[in-house]
Amino acid sequence: MRLLSFASMRILTAVAGAIGFSAVMASTAMAENLTFVWHAGTCSDLFYQISKDYPDKNIKIVPDVVPYGPLWHDKIAAQFAIHGAGFDFAMWDSQSTAEFAGGGHAYSINKVFKESKYLKANLFSPLSLKLYGEYPDNSGKYWGLPVNQDAYGLMYRKDLFNDPKEKAAFKAKYGRDLVVPQTYQDAKQVAEFFTRPDKGLYGWGQMGGRPYDFATSASNPFLWSYGGELWNPKTHEVKGYLNSPASIQGVQAYVDMFKYGPPGSQSWDWDAVNSAFQQGHLAMAMQWYYFAGSNSDPKVNPYAANTGFGVTPGAIGLDGKFRREMMIGGQGIGINVYSKKIPEVIKYLEWFYHPAQQKRWAAVCQTGLLSVLESPEWQKLNSYNKSFTHAMTHMHHDYWHLPEYPQLLDILQDAVTSASSGKMTVKAALDMAAERQERVLEKAGYKITRTHNIPAVPNEIVNPVGSDHIIKESYD
Amino acid sequence: MATNMSDAKRRMAGPELRQKRTPMLSDSWLCAIFIAPSVLMLALMVFYPFVMLIRYSGLTFSMLRPDVAPVHVGLGNYIDLLTDTGVWHRFAFTGKFVLATLSIQFTVGIAAAYAFQRDFKGRDVLFTLALMPMMFCPIVVGFLWQYMFNSEWGLVNWLVSLLGVAKIDWLGQSENALWAVAVADAWTWTPFVILLATAGFRGIPKDIRESAQVDGASPAFTFFHVTLPMSLPIIVIALLLRVIDAFKQFDLFVAMTGGGPGSETETAAYSLSKMAFGYFHTGQASAFAIILLVVIFGLSMVFVRYLTSLSNRI
Amino acid sequence: MRRSPLLVPALIVGAYLAFSDGPVIWMILSSIKSRTDLFTLPPKVLFHPVWTGYQAVFGVGAASNSVVAVGLYASLVTSILTSVFGTLIAVALGTFAGYATSRFRFPGHGDFMFFVLSTRMIPPVAVLVFYLVMYSRLGLVDTKVGLILVDAFINLGLATWIMKGFFDGVPSEVENIALVNGYSRFYAFTRLVLPMVRGGIAATAGFCFIFAWNEFSFASILATTSAKPLPVKISVAMGATGMEWTQIFAAGVVLVVPVAIFFYLIRRYLLIGMTFGVLGKGSE
Repeated sequence: MRLLSFASMRILTAVAGAIGFSAVMASTAMAENLTFVWHAGTCSDLFYQISKDYPDKNIKIVPDVVPYGPLWHDKIAAQFAIHGAGFDFAMWDSQSTAEFAGGGHAYSINKVFKESKYLKANLFSPLSLKLYGEYPDNSGKYWGLPVNQDAYGLMYRKDLFNDPKEKAAFKAKYGRDLVVPQTYQDAKQVAEFFTRPDKGLYGWGQMGGRPYDFATSASNPFLWSYGGELWNPKTHEVKGYLNSPASIQGVQAYVDMFKYGPPGSQSWDWDAVNSAFQQGHLAMAMQWYYFAGSNSDPKVNPYAANTGFGVTPGAIGLDGKFRREMMIGGQGIGINVYSKKIPEVIKYLEWFYHPAQQKRWAAVCQTGLLSVLESPEWQKLNSYNKSFTHAMTHMHHDYWHLPEYPQLLDILQDAVTSASSGKMTVKAALDMAAERQERVLEKAGYKITRTHNIPAVPNEIVNPVGSDHIIKESYD
Repeated sequence: MATNMSDAKRRMAGPELRQKRTPMLSDSWLCAIFIAPSVLMLALMVFYPFVMLIRYSGLTFSMLRPDVAPVHVGLGNYIDLLTDTGVWHRFAFTGKFVLATLSIQFTVGIAAAYAFQRDFKGRDVLFTLALMPMMFCPIVVGFLWQYMFNSEWGLVNWLVSLLGVAKIDWLGQSENALWAVAVADAWTWTPFVILLATAGFRGIPKDIRESAQVDGASPAFTFFHVTLPMSLPIIVIALLLRVIDAFKQFDLFVAMTGGGPGSETETAAYSLSKMAFGYFHTGQASAFAIILLVVIFGLSMVFVRYLTSLSNRI
Repeated sequence: MRRSPLLVPALIVGAYLAFSDGPVIWMILSSIKSRTDLFTLPPKVLFHPVWTGYQAVFGVGAASNSVVAVGLYASLVTSILTSVFGTLIAVALGTFAGYATSRFRFPGHGDFMFFVLSTRMIPPVAVLVFYLVMYSRLGLVDTKVGLILVDAFINLGLATWIMKGFFDGVPSEVENIALVNGYSRFYAFTRLVLPMVRGGIAATAGFCFIFAWNEFSFASILATTSAKPLPVKISVAMGATGMEWTQIFAAGVVLVVPVAIFFYLIRRYLLIGMTFGVLGKGSE
């Protein structure tokens, strides 16, 4: 049945073709890809999932995800080095901000705050902004927005601490109650108590691995809590700070704790800590809050129901003051200054940082958006969010916020692992590290001005945080 | 299907081939045509990066810090590196590692190739199985051996404990780690040696071997005095290629020791990767790369000299 | 008294296979073990298998929301294309150059061989950034062509040296007989010499395929989204929630399959061996 004449058929197909063609042309002309680089993990998975709901269908978020490790930094660095637009925005470790911002590769977030109607500094917790985006220190110049906040916290076996038999035995041996330790000095005793190698139980687990920042992420909280300092940011001195009596005491306390961990734990990374804890070998362990989610999952951690999370202990230093300093982790989002699609990236970030998306985000990863962080529902979402807000109050210290960070880190990692393997004493290792780090700083053009009479506890003159009495944190 | 002289003669003698005389190309033309594509590829892929490498080695510059102007230091980078005891430690360790892994690869490889010389039932499949280790992705191999050498739950220590020996800290002590990583590297690349050595051994003409046996020589004698010497050239090529690759090894160290404890298991290539990408000291890394290149180059010359003397002998 | 001539070789083969394939079997077993089973001693051989490792590698099941699932098939295609063509080019170029160096001692042939070998001596990290610059100027970043060039280039030295070694084993009498009879050098090369070095071509192709398929350093920096080879793509499965050993081993197993298949297909040629054809009958 010929409903349409041949000619009209041809006209119709031509019109249809034209419409189809222009539609294809329009969509391909309009579709933009925004590429991001991050390391693999639950957070990058979630980021990608959330991005699929972005209302502007002409924008597609494309992941270029790498395994966690050196390649993460190297990939971003390589693009920056050639002023390339291989990615439009990236999540990099907070420690790398100085390196990337210092080289001028990151787009100024201050500009974003000015140009965007929604993204403003007051949306974020000031501490988060400072930690994940500011360079140089205290300059008010920001280069990244907080996307995943993290801290190196404590996890422990509630069942062991609540067990009446254990409590009685501990009281009999040490004359005080068995509680989650408030100081590293206490932690030593509790760890010793729980170290029973023949039963496969050890008191304390911590990282000690040489690669990246494993060992020093664990030793820094010790060093800072005892009142030590990595350096003096104002005078660029390292000698007298890194190898001060307080720092040595702190790192020594860290090295001593390996006695209460399984043999070979000196080369542990965060995965080995998780494995050991999940098999029930550890009574206490230092671990990133990032893993609190999976460690609360009974499918991953058979002891999930009995796992508690809290802040790491503090310490009473040589000056009699109490300090509780925690190690910061996490990443910020930075925009590639060489990207040709910066306005689109900003628009996407405006959507991503909307409370609706951030609430979804906060279910798995730690948000930096103030309104979500302060909401009661977020605090009650799981067993560790509340503890995390507490943790943030103990973050006054971080690694060096300098572009020379990778070298300084490598030197300190070298020293700390040499000490924990027994090849060098802590003093010799830190002396060597201080010497080498000052050489790096001098070569990089920093002037080192010498302070006279550096106290044994250098924290007294560098951003002091000591208090006269122990500030207790609660553990459920 | 025999591949040999008589076969060749037969092919040419056959009547059907007589018609296929092809037009002549002079030898020098043919040579040029055969070499040209390789030269082109090398020109394309090597020229620019190599020029950059040399250029940057004379500068103090980081490509990541364009805000810091490059400083011409001439040979300054080289001097800094060559006077740094740490650098010499790295090279010494690298040398030890190369020796360790090569010694395993060759003894095991030649022995296995000896065994695969003759035909036997299922040799095809068994040979493919024997070659498996080198097919794996190097990163996975690193993790596999890290897992197996773990002092607490690793397979190796479990086997060791079966022999009544106490658990060894394989990866935390540099003396043990050297051998642990050497074993992992040798495990991966022994098949390389086996493949080439077998090719050499199987090429020994049957009548040569048979005549040796007729003269009363044991299989061992034939092997060491006939087979091995005749296959020496291809084995030396295998050795040369393995030495070059072993000098570049650092992925295994990244996975298994992280270069630690301290920096005791950091090879030269590992240092180089830290300088080039970790610290992004483009200038210094380029100088280091050239130093490493000179070292490997020098070693290779020894092998190549030996190879040429071998071929002149035959 | 004659011991069985097969005893010693059999023992060696057995011992070697235990050493080389024992860990392979261990890897395969570990790829389906649960975390607890992975870390118990004595090592478990019988256990309840867990498939999360393979799910993570393929981005299905428990890992269907993972980023790995994005572009996985495209990565497989990229890997096959770059490895196959890279190998083809390397083997072809290496064969021609190896023959030319073996037969025609052209002026500078020693330098040429050295130069081609030296391309293998530099650790890629030292020159990666320069390649990135060069590639971005040539528009080759994140392209399959770019990676094919890399895969061919990294193998050129190896291919040339091995093929030269094999050609050196073929006596020049072979071509001389042809030349004397009026055939061209090229004819002798293609019809007579090439078949004699099939073993070498197979070995070279095998090695080149391995290096091309597993190539990571260049690919991880030179490819971003559209031309990511499989090893780079799958490596992402390592370290998703902590370092998942099952995922790592599953990735290792999956990645080795194409290579193993390739070797199985050329196995007969691998055992042909060289030819030291002195006049007379050849090897068995």
